[in-house]
Amino acid sequence: MIPQNFEYSAPGNLNEALALLADGNAKVLAGGMSLIPLMKLRLAAPEHLVDLGRVSDLKSIREDTGTIRIGATVTHYEIESSPLIRGKCPLLAEAASNIGDVQVRNMGTIGGSIAHADPAADYPASLIALEAQVRIVSAKGERAVPIEEFLVDSLTTALEPGEIVRDISVPLEAPGAGVSYQKMVQPASGFAIVGAAARVRRSGGKVAFVRVGITGLAAKAFRASAVEKLLEGTAGSAADVQKAAAVVADGVDANSDLYASAGYRAQMAKVHTARALTQALSRAS
Amino acid sequence: MRVAGSYTLAVARDRAYEILQDPEVLAKCMPGTERLARIGPDEYEMKMKMVISAVQGLFDGKVRIADQKPPVQFRLIVEGSGKVGFMNGNGLLTLTPATVTTGMSIRGSDGTEVHFEGEVHVGGTIAGVGQRLLDSTAKLIIRKFFEKLSASVTSVNQAAPSS
Repeated sequence: MIPQNFEYSAPGNLNEALALLADGNAKVLAGGMSLIPLMKLRLAAPEHLVDLGRVSDLKSIREDTGTIRIGATVTHYEIESSPLIRGKCPLLAEAASNIGDVQVRNMGTIGGSIAHADPAADYPASLIALEAQVRIVSAKGERAVPIEEFLVDSLTTALEPGEIVRDISVPLEAPGAGVSYQKMVQPASGFAIVGAAARVRRSGGKVAFVRVGITGLAAKAFRASAVEKLLEGTAGSAADVQKAAAVVADGVDANSDLYASAGYRAQMAKVHTARALTQALSRAS
Repeated sequence: MRVAGSYTLAVARDRAYEILQDPEVLAKCMPGTERLARIGPDEYEMKMKMVISAVQGLFDGKVRIADQKPPVQFRLIVEGSGKVGFMNGNGLLTLTPATVTTGMSIRGSDGTEVHFEGEVHVGGTIAGVGQRLLDSTAKLIIRKFFEKLSASVTSVNQAAPSS
């Protein structure tokens, strides 16, 4: 329960942090809700930790031409309670409020969560439904990648050694849009067995826009395009929702563990996708 | 935990069978393999350093090849242990000829579909705390192995003059 010795740096600004990370040997600490337990169990033994907690450039939430930019070390609680995010990107606030428990939400950060890339993390479903962009920065420069490209595989991201997440930008929700995040929680860990995020807009009595992101079901979160296609253009009746949600696990190599077999998970994905779509539609005007 | 799947390699079946039992190729493609040494007929000793996200584990283990029916089938038996836990696995690999279309050529070339099916058991700390992630991690490692393997056979193919 005591981690191996390690060196600890707490840089005060971004450039200092990037310089410390430039050689690619140090591990980033951004909340530590996954990393610290792993270190205490000695499953992880980084020699050098660079704590981003004092880098104030990474802590802001601000509106920026049609999007909201959320700094990497903004905590889940700050996202859940931010008036800007609650008002203009409610899906992300809803996802944040579903993460772990209150202690985790007070310490854990959005950048830390997506960089860890747990296949059952809550954010990715919403970030995919929101078509979020991840801004990555290193001592060499900056680049932006869509969240779907950022998440490469289970516990694997597009981050190269020396790179960190700078911020995540999500679009402002259109007026009248309805959103919902529905999660089946794994009680011991607080992670999602499956989680479904939905965004919908109606126009002229029809469903005009649908985005669905799914977490927990496969090695990485993914966009359920087949579900979106089936629902778009329909009246959005209960039958339409069921029909669309039924294909969510088609062709997906579903995860399996002691708590939920692949078949059960696939079934739960359908149920929670239907619930998310139903609630999002009921909230859309 | 049961694992199963299939991958297609862009080489003919006889060659694929050879490659899959070539310790040098295996050591290169198996993620984290630091050493793979022959200790007997169809038996190898290995040292692996697995790094997945923040987790890293050193494993010492053995790989054995059994039930050989060249060029169709063989069984791979793996066992390993380290500070963070232990694992043993046993999988049957079946090779069937397949057609692979590469790049711009319309005519498919000889390929092989490798189908595997087996059981993996993981225990110790890593299984106790990582149970939720074992399945997706096992799949990730297998996927990486076949990706590297197929990249290495493709580069061999490109190096050789083709008619």
